[in-house]
Amino acid sequence: MFDLESQIRKWRRHVQSAGSLGVQDAEELESHLRDTIDELTGRGVSVEEAFILSVRRMGDTDTLHNEFAKVSTENVWRQLLVPAADEAARRRERTEIAVVLALALLGGLLGKLPALFGHPVAELSAVVYARNASLFAFPPVAIYLIWKRALPLRFSAVAALVFAAFAVAVNVYPSYAPHHTQALTIIHVPIALLLVLTVLYGGPGWRKPELRLDFVRFAGEVFIYAVLLGLGGLVLVGVSGATFSLVGIDLTPLIANWLAVFGICGVAVVAAYLVEKKKGAIETIAPVLARIFTPLFAVLLLGLIITMALTGQAPSEDRELLIMFDIVLALVLGLVLYTMSARDAEKRADWWDGIVLALVVLAFAANAIAFSGIIVRLSTYGFSPNKSAALGENILLMINLGVLAVGYYRFLTGRVSYQTVIDWQMRYLPIHSGWATVVALGFPLLFGFA
Amino acid sequence: MDIRKDLVAASATPIVLSILRHGDSYGYAIIKRVREVSGDRIAWTDGMLYPVLHRLEAAGFVRATWKTADNGRRRKYYRITRQGEAELDHLREQWDVVHSALERLAGPGTIGT
Repeated sequence: MFDLESQIRKWRRHVQSAGSLGVQDAEELESHLRDTIDELTGRGVSVEEAFILSVRRMGDTDTLHNEFAKVSTENVWRQLLVPAADEAARRRERTEIAVVLALALLGGLLGKLPALFGHPVAELSAVVYARNASLFAFPPVAIYLIWKRALPLRFSAVAALVFAAFAVAVNVYPSYAPHHTQALTIIHVPIALLLVLTVLYGGPGWRKPELRLDFVRFAGEVFIYAVLLGLGGLVLVGVSGATFSLVGIDLTPLIANWLAVFGICGVAVVAAYLVEKKKGAIETIAPVLARIFTPLFAVLLLGLIITMALTGQAPSEDRELLIMFDIVLALVLGLVLYTMSARDAEKRADWWDGIVLALVVLAFAANAIAFSGIIVRLSTYGFSPNKSAALGENILLMINLGVLAVGYYRFLTGRVSYQTVIDWQMRYLPIHSGWATVVALGFPLLFGFA
Repeated sequence: MDIRKDLVAASATPIVLSILRHGDSYGYAIIKRVREVSGDRIAWTDGMLYPVLHRLEAAGFVRATWKTADNGRRRKYYRITRQGEAELDHLREQWDVVHSALERLAGPGTIGT
């Protein structure tokens, strides 16, 4: 069946993709397109035909881009700041900005909580901040999503419950030397909590794979925005610190105690707002990043495999090797997810999908070689918390990549649609969060908080 | 009848400004109006109108505001500014000069008079 809305969305993405059109330009064109479609269907033309005719009337996209590029003196950021025109929309916008600023402030205040419990910002209490970091940065994002999507109460309740449970657990658990389980908790809490944001992002339909893919895209873009904002903030803080020190005022305590805490804890929700507000600007960056790094990673992995084959030895430190490979596999998975989120699911397979498949296969192969050596030795030395966590992740990632490879292969040979590959991957994602929850909260209990 | 591209480009500004002088309007309605008054003989590629409008806005001849129509669709309305009206007068004078020159040249017995 012809789905007009999805066709219009696709058309709009296509029109926007070259970058000379801003969000408002695209909206204006879309409004025009819809008017034309209405007129044509009013005259008895079928919806599908009306859509095609309207798109044709709109003109050739390349010429359109050139024309727009000539006019477009304003850049993407200005478009973001242009106030919406009618009064109601403007008021909504003001409210949203106020809410976001308040939430950023809330994040900062959460970040100051440890000080109340006698942990001022200092090297000594770094662990306290590290294990709570995502509990400072995520709740504002969660509240923002709940507010923005006007989610029913049960979503807020469950989210609050989960955050509270994690907060209690990570702070009440004792930690004994060599503090391995604590370090594991620090790493895994954010991964586990991402699941909460996934659910809030999707709202009532969070089980749908396409919404989960949207969340992947959202999370990736929030990350990019947050890094950009962080860099800007760093420059700002550095410059002002240096300037004030010239006139004999030491800003370091202010920066460390307040600016850094509020900045780091508040940046996530601001980035989330920017991504929600401006769908499309970064969308053109993520695919570029994926395109640059996918072949590079494939080459790197190939080199690794050749080296291991030539020297005939895997590094002797099992744990570090496992962790290293976990990182490599996670990065590969991240690249594939990025590619997935940027790819048009209905486009036919091309050489690029072949490169992605090569990357996945190489990652799987490299890991399998290293893995086979380790498993034997592991069983002789027994399981420490670190080894178990790394091993568990390794297995989960291997299964993930293995099935991805099969899925990509079947897609390339034309046996399944790309959507099937996406669906499968999206269904698998929560498993990673599940395992992270086990490691973050279960391992300390299991291994006596050592 | 196909009107040549350069003529279309040159006439777009006075045509758009003339339409806006009769009242605020948005892209789709402007295109429709152009078709109407020209008996479908001036047919622009729809998309190309927008760069023209945005250029007029950048030049200060029109001002744009978003409004929500009765059917809930958001539309960008354009309104002619005083500067735009002055520009329109100026352009019309030029067209009149060209037009009357053409007329006189097309008339009988113009050669050598």
